Amino acid sequence: MTPALVCERLVKRYGDKTVVDRVGFHIDEGEAYGLLGPNGAGKTTTISMLVGLLRPDEGSVRVGGIDVDEDPVAAKRLIGYVPQEIALYPELTARENLRYFGRLHGLPRRELASRIGEVLDLVGLSGRGDDKVGTYSGGMKRRTNIAVALLHRPRLLILDEPTVGVDPQSRVAILDRVEALVGEGMSLLYTSHYMEEVERVCTRVGIIDQGRVVADGSKRELVAELGGTDRVELTLDGDVTAAAEKLRTVEGVSEAVVTGSSSIRLLVAGGRHLLPALLSAVGDTGAVTGVEVVEPDLEAAFLHLTGSTLRD
Amino acid sequence: MRPRPVTALVLANLKRQLRDKVGMFFIVVMPFVTIVFVGMALGGDAADAKLPVAVVADTSDPVSAAVVAELESDKALDVRRAQSAEEVRDDVRQGDLAAGLIVTPGDTSLELVMTQTSGSGMAARSAVDVAVGRVAAVLEATRAARAAGASPQQADSYVSKAKEESVAVTVASSGGDEPSRPTGFAYTAPANLLLFTFVNSMAVAAALVESRRIGMVRRSLAAPVRRGQVLLGEALSRFAVALAQSLLIIVASRVLFDVRWGDPLGVGVVVALFCLIATGAAMLVGALVRSPQQAPAIGPPVGIVLGMLGGCLWPREVAGETLSTIGYLFPHSWAMDALLTLSRPSTGLGSVLVEAGVLAGMAVVVLGVALVVFQRRALVAV
Ligand SMILES: Nc1ncnc2c1ncn2[C@@H]1O[C@H](COP(=O)(O)OP(=O)(O)OP(=O)(O)O)[C@@H](O)[C@H]1O
Ligand SMILES: [Mg+2]
Repeated sequence: MTPALVCERLVKRYGDKTVVDRVGFHIDEGEAYGLLGPNGAGKTTTISMLVGLLRPDEGSVRVGGIDVDEDPVAAKRLIGYVPQEIALYPELTARENLRYFGRLHGLPRRELASRIGEVLDLVGLSGRGDDKVGTYSGGMKRRTNIAVALLHRPRLLILDEPTVGVDPQSRVAILDRVEALVGEGMSLLYTSHYMEEVERVCTRVGIIDQGRVVADGSKRELVAELGGTDRVELTLDGDVTAAAEKLRTVEGVSEAVVTGSSSIRLLVAGGRHLLPALLSAVGDTGAVTGVEVVEPDLEAAFLHLTGSTLRD
Repeated sequence: MRPRPVTALVLANLKRQLRDKVGMFFIVVMPFVTIVFVGMALGGDAADAKLPVAVVADTSDPVSAAVVAELESDKALDVRRAQSAEEVRDDVRQGDLAAGLIVTPGDTSLELVMTQTSGSGMAARSAVDVAVGRVAAVLEATRAARAAGASPQQADSYVSKAKEESVAVTVASSGGDEPSRPTGFAYTAPANLLLFTFVNSMAVAAALVESRRIGMVRRSLAAPVRRGQVLLGEALSRFAVALAQSLLIIVASRVLFDVRWGDPLGVGVVVALFCLIATGAAMLVGALVRSPQQAPAIGPPVGIVLGMLGGCLWPREVAGETLSTIGYLFPHSWAMDALLTLSRPSTGLGSVLVEAGVLAGMAVVVLGVALVVFQRRALVAV
């Protein structure tokens, strides 16, 4: 079966800055692929090239076997793209926005009318479809943003951080919907700042950092690369920066990053056995108020591969 | 090219426009407020709407008498005699007079009293200019004839004969007793059509900047459409608004103020070309500007300045020769000339071919540049 998406050695430069550097991955039909990366890693730039908005300086993209550069219109027909920003006319109602995009996609009038009802239903907004989008809450706007991409039943859904600025309830609703769509056979490319979303929705993950895909595989494969390394979350009252500095000198600690005003995340080979050494390393830089040792997981893999946390 | 994406974009943009209450106020209400106010200030065509002008002159002096006679023959003026310059100045200041003219016997200069800001003062001034110009021409011609050796009687008879002939010619070419420059609504209606069509196009550019800012243009381009379709849709949306604005002013001024626009084909061509230029300017602003707040801050003021140079705020003669010449760098002056020409009887598209040609050239250049710039910058985040 033709893969839903194949991109090879994508390069995008702005001036002398290479923002996307030989990025390549593929998404099989019906597969859910997550792209994880810190701010400015190049996720949105990569997606722009996948959906034909930006021409790559090098490399190629095929969507459902169609080369995006050769036949952009045919390729774009297969894609449902949800941009990172809320791209909707605030002066128009959800229904009017959907009608606009449905027409752009060339949906026949009658089909469009019934599809608008269906997607509004799908994102739980049937009751508010005739209200102006400008009057919506952040969560409702996000859901409408997604509804637009589903109108034409795309084969590949591309979501660029679809839950930013959304209340927890809407987030759960969005994730449920996305999971259900994947269950129905839609292929998915998902980027997020929230590790747990990607863990939940995606079966395969690519980790992108400074324009490069530094790892790619199933969650299990990525975690296996860590070997026996545990993630340790330390909370303390005191100077976290100085404490992290000291912790890095402990034998067996591969990473120590400050994640908040009183928290430090560590990657530690054989976490439990090293706890006493960690506590004494903190010494007088602060008073440790909590320690949590977590089995190797995606968060740990991310820290291992990029040396940073997903959310700054 | 499938037309559907283009119409989708135009429909969505027009709907947005209709829901913009402030924008609609400026398109539907403001032009008429301006037309009525300035139109009344410049004086309508009706008899009771004549401009009151007072003259202080000693009519035993033949030159003074000639000037007064010329002024009295102007149908747009209501000429009164006043006793003193002081009295005239007071009346002008209080707005009872559009202007006052003080002629001192034996002095070659005339004093014109008017307030700079009043449109009626401007209109009166140009009428006085015309009258004085005619008298001066007669005096010049008499002097020239005398210098060439004619006796005073001969010179007088040559000049008055020439004058009769020139008057006959003028009458024939301007068609009856039409004034040489339309006054009142006949002037302010086309002036404000151009002014508002352009200014509101520039204001509408804000909606385009907003579309870029919120990522609508980007997202539309991610749909299975060609870049040209999105471009065309955005341009047509602006053109439709400009055209609707123009049509509204033409129809309403015809119905409400009985403004004669002239040959429909000629007016249609000139107005359509002007709307294309306004569209190009709006697309250019929409593509170049970086924030939606900048568009209304830059666009309309530019539109007003161009309107001013083009004679849309007051007759261009009033602004002086330099400004009037500069005005011809921009579309307003050309369109204004064309519309004023067309408003005269027995004119048509053929009478304004030069103006229409210049406007067409401007439309091609502005639209071309705008589309190239928009194409390049459509995806640039604002
Ligand atoms: N038009 C542009 N010109 C110059 N640099 C750009 C341009 N667009 C993006 N960049 C740079 O490219 C890098 C990658 O940006 P991109 O938006 O792809 O990152 P991202 O992974 O989506 O980040 P985020 O998680 O914040 O959305 C950033 O450093 C950004 O500043
Ligand atoms: Mg991004």
